[in-house]
Amino acid sequence: MLNYWANYFTRNGIGVGMFLLAAVLLWMVFMIILPQLYMVDFSLRANVPPPKWGGEEHVYTLEHYKYLLYGSSKSAEQFNTIDLSVFGRTILAAVFVTIIDLCLCYPVAYYLAHVARGGWARLMIMSLIIPFWINEILRAFSFKVLFGTSGLINNALMAVGLIDQPYDFVRENVALYSGLSYAYILLMIFPIYNAIESLDKNQIEAARDMGSPWWRIHWRIVLPHAKPGICSGSTMVFMLSAGALAAPQVLGGPSSLWFTQIIYKAFNNSANWARGSAYALVLLLACIIFVLLMMRIFKVKLGEIAR
Amino acid sequence: MGITAFNSSAFPRVTPWECFTVEWFSVLAEDKRLLTGLRNSLFIGLGVVCLSVPLGLAGALMLTQVKERVRPWYYTIVISPILVPGVVLGISTLLFWDRVGVMFGASRDSFFYNGFFLTIIGQSTFIAAYTMLVFISRLQRFETVQEEAALDLGATHWQTFKKILLPFLAPAIASASVLAFLASFENYNTTVFTAISTSTITTVLASKVRYGIDPSISALAVVIVVLTLIGAAVHEILKRREIARSKLAAEVAAGNRLSIGKQTPWYFDPALIMIFLIVVAGVGTTFMAGTMGVEECKVAVKTEKQRATQERIKALRERNQAKRDVEAAQQAQEAEQKREEKEGRTGTENFNSIFNTDNLAPAEDAPETTGEPENDPSRTGTENFNSIFSTDNLAPKDDSEQENGEQDKKDEEAPRTGTENFNNIFDTDNLAPKSD
Repeated sequence: MLNYWANYFTRNGIGVGMFLLAAVLLWMVFMIILPQLYMVDFSLRANVPPPKWGGEEHVYTLEHYKYLLYGSSKSAEQFNTIDLSVFGRTILAAVFVTIIDLCLCYPVAYYLAHVARGGWARLMIMSLIIPFWINEILRAFSFKVLFGTSGLINNALMAVGLIDQPYDFVRENVALYSGLSYAYILLMIFPIYNAIESLDKNQIEAARDMGSPWWRIHWRIVLPHAKPGICSGSTMVFMLSAGALAAPQVLGGPSSLWFTQIIYKAFNNSANWARGSAYALVLLLACIIFVLLMMRIFKVKLGEIAR
Repeated sequence: MGITAFNSSAFPRVTPWECFTVEWFSVLAEDKRLLTGLRNSLFIGLGVVCLSVPLGLAGALMLTQVKERVRPWYYTIVISPILVPGVVLGISTLLFWDRVGVMFGASRDSFFYNGFFLTIIGQSTFIAAYTMLVFISRLQRFETVQEEAALDLGATHWQTFKKILLPFLAPAIASASVLAFLASFENYNTTVFTAISTSTITTVLASKVRYGIDPSISALAVVIVVLTLIGAAVHEILKRREIARSKLAAEVAAGNRLSIGKQTPWYFDPALIMIFLIVVAGVGTTFMAGTMGVEECKVAVKTEKQRATQERIKALRERNQAKRDVEAAQQAQEAEQKREEKEGRTGTENFNSIFNTDNLAPAEDAPETTGEPENDPSRTGTENFNSIFSTDNLAPKDDSEQENGEQDKKDEEAPRTGTENFNNIFDTDNLAPKSD
């Protein structure tokens, strides 16, 4: 060990070596590990006003997790159907958004990687990227303009004559799902694009020469090759849509809550920080489980996901 | 969405189109809260760049140096902030630094409770991971031989770092800075928790969007899009230049001077042409709007609206008059029917069906009566009552709230609601016997 450090400093020099060490320690310990651990600790403690934090009344308790399960910290007779159903709906909706994005992005990524050429490919990529430089909230808001009862889509449908009354897309959550899918489309396209681009075209041509139909070419050659990209894209999209706050706040219908909105309310409205952090931790755990599941299903390593 | 910025309607929308105007841009420029938010966001963005770029650089350099056995663990930890929901990062940062503040006995207005400090720290946690990925991909092409050569020739470690590694990483540093700034500028999930009382542009926007909005938001979107397009075009031109220069260098090195003129010049690139056209069109229409008579158009729209409302009121009144006539006629008919009722059971089929559930004939009759509502005296009364009620209520509103965008909808809906109610009542009455 001592040998290793001696080696490290001879290789980098004292000054640069110290800089690297200090920066990495600051980042890893004080910005990533300790805050997370402290949040776990905090979520396990009673909800007392800030001046008493760390005092005698700040005891360890499971009440916030119990509250999430049963709706009250004392009795365990009935489940907290409101919070739990919101949690379940958030996770399901995030999975749904991920699937939509996958279906949308795979053809686009394949087209970009193997069909489009030169300037047009760049134009396509650029027109995909540019909307993402606009603020997240403005993007969500533009979907509200599109899908509102007096919005563009309703007016177009009414002009064509498909519907005779404006359809409330916001109430039916159509606006929310499409807004979320659109918001994270890039995170799905680029990993898949990177994966497909490295595929040797000769393989596709060989399969075609052998008389394979187009769907089998995709199923047997392109899809397996794009697997790491699909895995990382799905993970990112799932994480971000499950943890999204802006889009549900702007686009969510009156009857639908997102789990992050409950966390936000616990912090801002009911001033129960401990419960908020307990809920945030549950969300984090759900996300970690999803990532592990994806890694198991697609048999890829974490290093390949975060790229 | 961008289009709504130029509509004079008070609510951001494309249809109905009223007037082409640029006034929302001046509204935007005078919005104090938004401007404060913008300034704070710029400041925080700079802070994040200053913090996350060195952190990401150190993280990437460290990755090549940690032991083989520890590397996967190290990588998992530093990459995890990307995968952790932003909400969680914000909360944990807020709680942790509050704790640290208490530990040092810091007061409530020290920097541990400062929105700027907390937001910069919270955002850098995950933005540093982004920048690290940028540095890693650049470092993969770095040849450590260069460093070793410099060290062998007697350079100090610091000199090697400064003269060899940093110049090599310069493009990566530039793109990482841009990335970090943009990511910080548009972050909401983390910022909303860490910014305590400081307002950034995203939090101001969020509250604007949630509690009342006007098209100045669309105007802001237009500004951002135009800036973005210009930035993209500049970036594209620079990239083209660089590629051309390296090509030239390669060709000169190969002693081949003939093919220099062959490459397509940058202004033939379809992507660039497209961007250029969009920008020109945008700026052109904005300029046009300034020269056209916005006020005249507005007045025209206002009078047009008033006229339409008047006509609608008139039409409604006429309809009501007609209905009253029909009602009178039917009351006469009703009296007649009542007379008939005494003699036989004609005209009361509906009521019979309630009692004679085993009899199929009345159930078949029911849909027929649905088609001719005028036959039922009780219903006609309801209809008249409802529609009279709605017109009386709506008429004064129409006059007072000309500008209100939602008004049109109400006008159309209210009479309809009357009919709908009426239909529903009728349906349930008729359906009850059927279900039996």
